Amino acid sequence: MATTEQFLSRLRATRVWKSVFRRGPARTNRTRSLAVFGNIFLHALPAKVREKSLRVRATYYLGSFTFFLFIVLVITGVLLMFYYHPAVPQAYRDMKDLRFAVANGVFLRNLHRLAAHAMVAAVFAHMFHVFYRGGYKSPREFNWVVGVLLLLVTLFLSYTGYLLPWDQLAYWAITVGTGIISAMPVLGAKIRFLALGGNQVGENALLRFYVLHCVVLPLVAVVLIAVHFWRVQKDGGLTVGENSRGEDGGQEKL
Amino acid sequence: MSEPEKEKPDQTGEVTRRDFFNEISLAALGIAGAGAAVVTYNFLSPNVLFEQSMVFRAGNPDLYPVDTVTPLPDQQVYIVRTAAGFYALSTVCTHLGCITQWKPEANLIACPCHGSKFNSGLPPSKALPGTKIEGPAPLPLPHFAMTMTADGELQVDKSQKSDQVLKV
Amino acid sequence: MADKKNYEAGFSSDALKNPQRIVFITKKTSAKVRGDVGKQFMTYPHLLLREAIAFQVLAIVLVVVSLLWDAPLEQLANPLVTPNPAKAPWYFLGLQELLHYFPPFVAGILIPSLVVVALVVIPYFNVNVKGEPIWATNREKRLLVVLGTLMILSVFLAYFDAWTVLAPTILIGGLLLLSYFGAPERPGWTDYFRTRPVSWWVMTWFIAVALTLTLVGTFFRGPGWSWVWPWRPYGA
Repeated sequence: MATTEQFLSRLRATRVWKSVFRRGPARTNRTRSLAVFGNIFLHALPAKVREKSLRVRATYYLGSFTFFLFIVLVITGVLLMFYYHPAVPQAYRDMKDLRFAVANGVFLRNLHRLAAHAMVAAVFAHMFHVFYRGGYKSPREFNWVVGVLLLLVTLFLSYTGYLLPWDQLAYWAITVGTGIISAMPVLGAKIRFLALGGNQVGENALLRFYVLHCVVLPLVAVVLIAVHFWRVQKDGGLTVGENSRGEDGGQEKL
Repeated sequence: MSEPEKEKPDQTGEVTRRDFFNEISLAALGIAGAGAAVVTYNFLSPNVLFEQSMVFRAGNPDLYPVDTVTPLPDQQVYIVRTAAGFYALSTVCTHLGCITQWKPEANLIACPCHGSKFNSGLPPSKALPGTKIEGPAPLPLPHFAMTMTADGELQVDKSQKSDQVLKV
Repeated sequence: MADKKNYEAGFSSDALKNPQRIVFITKKTSAKVRGDVGKQFMTYPHLLLREAIAFQVLAIVLVVVSLLWDAPLEQLANPLVTPNPAKAPWYFLGLQELLHYFPPFVAGILIPSLVVVALVVIPYFNVNVKGEPIWATNREKRLLVVLGTLMILSVFLAYFDAWTVLAPTILIGGLLLLSYFGAPERPGWTDYFRTRPVSWWVMTWFIAVALTLTLVGTFFRGPGWSWVWPWRPYGA
């Protein structure tokens, strides 16, 4: 309404506001460009995008969904961390607490686990879609490799997280998995010893997986994601070339 | 655009002072990096483990009748006594680490994960305990070294493998 | 037929300034955009609002499903008792199914490493960049190669009793052989398959195998990794 408009424009004219937000309302193309170009979170994006890349059928927004799922996982994960002790057998008791004693604990845990499985599926879907569209071809080879690394990081994140509830499902999935690692010649036993912090899946293993899951792998993921987004822009953006679906009516060639 | 190239191609193979310092610095960085990696690896590799002791006592031999398999779940060991003597078998399947189960009605040891089956060594079977009957396990169940203590009890050392039967 | 020149010849656009300038554009000089720019929109608001909507749609779906279905939690971890069956998370179940046929080193280390290496190497194999269909040239020779490869692969898999891998291989192989007989005069799905390049077939085979392995590992394996029909309870 008019009063809200007035209030907002008066707010925007204050010195405090102008010290924080410097560009003014994004109503001209110049200020709209600045909204992206001058923003620390968004400046990896281009100021303008091609019309083709906005269409759902161009990418099905698979890459975006993967990233959004990552964000959901970080938020729900941090919240869950407030109630979780990475100790044996306290971890299991904390899972029970989350389910029965913590307000919305069930919901947050469900959300975290669902987003985790969805993210693994989305990463695979995104990879296969990029492949079938030829989005790995020159000059995008390196970005494809970064994508494969992100796939591995996602799988590792999911796997390390799988142990944390410390239930039968978790314990034996990790026992079998680390058993496979020891099948590697020469280094297998040493790698298993390092990963578990010992010879058996016990409290050391839980702590190590917890640190990997909550600190190391998310940091690696954030760095790789930043590179991945940056490379998309530097390599020419989405949906370029003969492989893109667009006004030509979907003539797809691989 | 960049600083002018002053170096002429070196005909005599002599090392310039600039090259020397560059190489020394890189080598120093490399050594520091390698050292950091080794130190980190050592840090991450635990020296003290709060796990069960690998050596344990299994009690008086008379606790175990002849031609029986007695699982000791806490130690992950089967004590097998045949006419030939005592064996201490690992309960951990050699395929991927699942815990096997003793099936007396079928006279064999079976792994629930992928269906490996092992000999119990009890009659009428003539094979050694732990040899594989079928399944994806690559090796037989390992035997641990068994000894008698001075006061007449069985002692098992899980850190040592042995193919000797303990005669009592 | 192969064009050995690594440049393209064209005319400069401004005929007044450059009455007879010929332009040489060498291939692969730099990582430049190769495509029509087309119509553009400001990122804000067009892209950002679409992304915001996508995020909200995702959030709604996630929240609704999380409110309806609970994540599982089994009993406290017991190192002495292995559950039967002991299954990995779903994205590793394909691997676990493969473990049923091949030793741990092969199924657990070798094959996954080879898959990762193959994935990484895909863009650097600059073969068939234009995406020529598999049957475009040397039809008979390629048919023989395909038949030979399929035969060797099938024998190898059958020797190891790896039915779960063999079945999708035969399926995709059959499709590939069928596509040989497609023709432009008969449009439809046969023609779609006829125009697929080798890379498409290899990836489709890989996805078919991975999908089959994962589905079997998830739904058709019970205690002792024995075969079960998912609609029958355990032990039936």
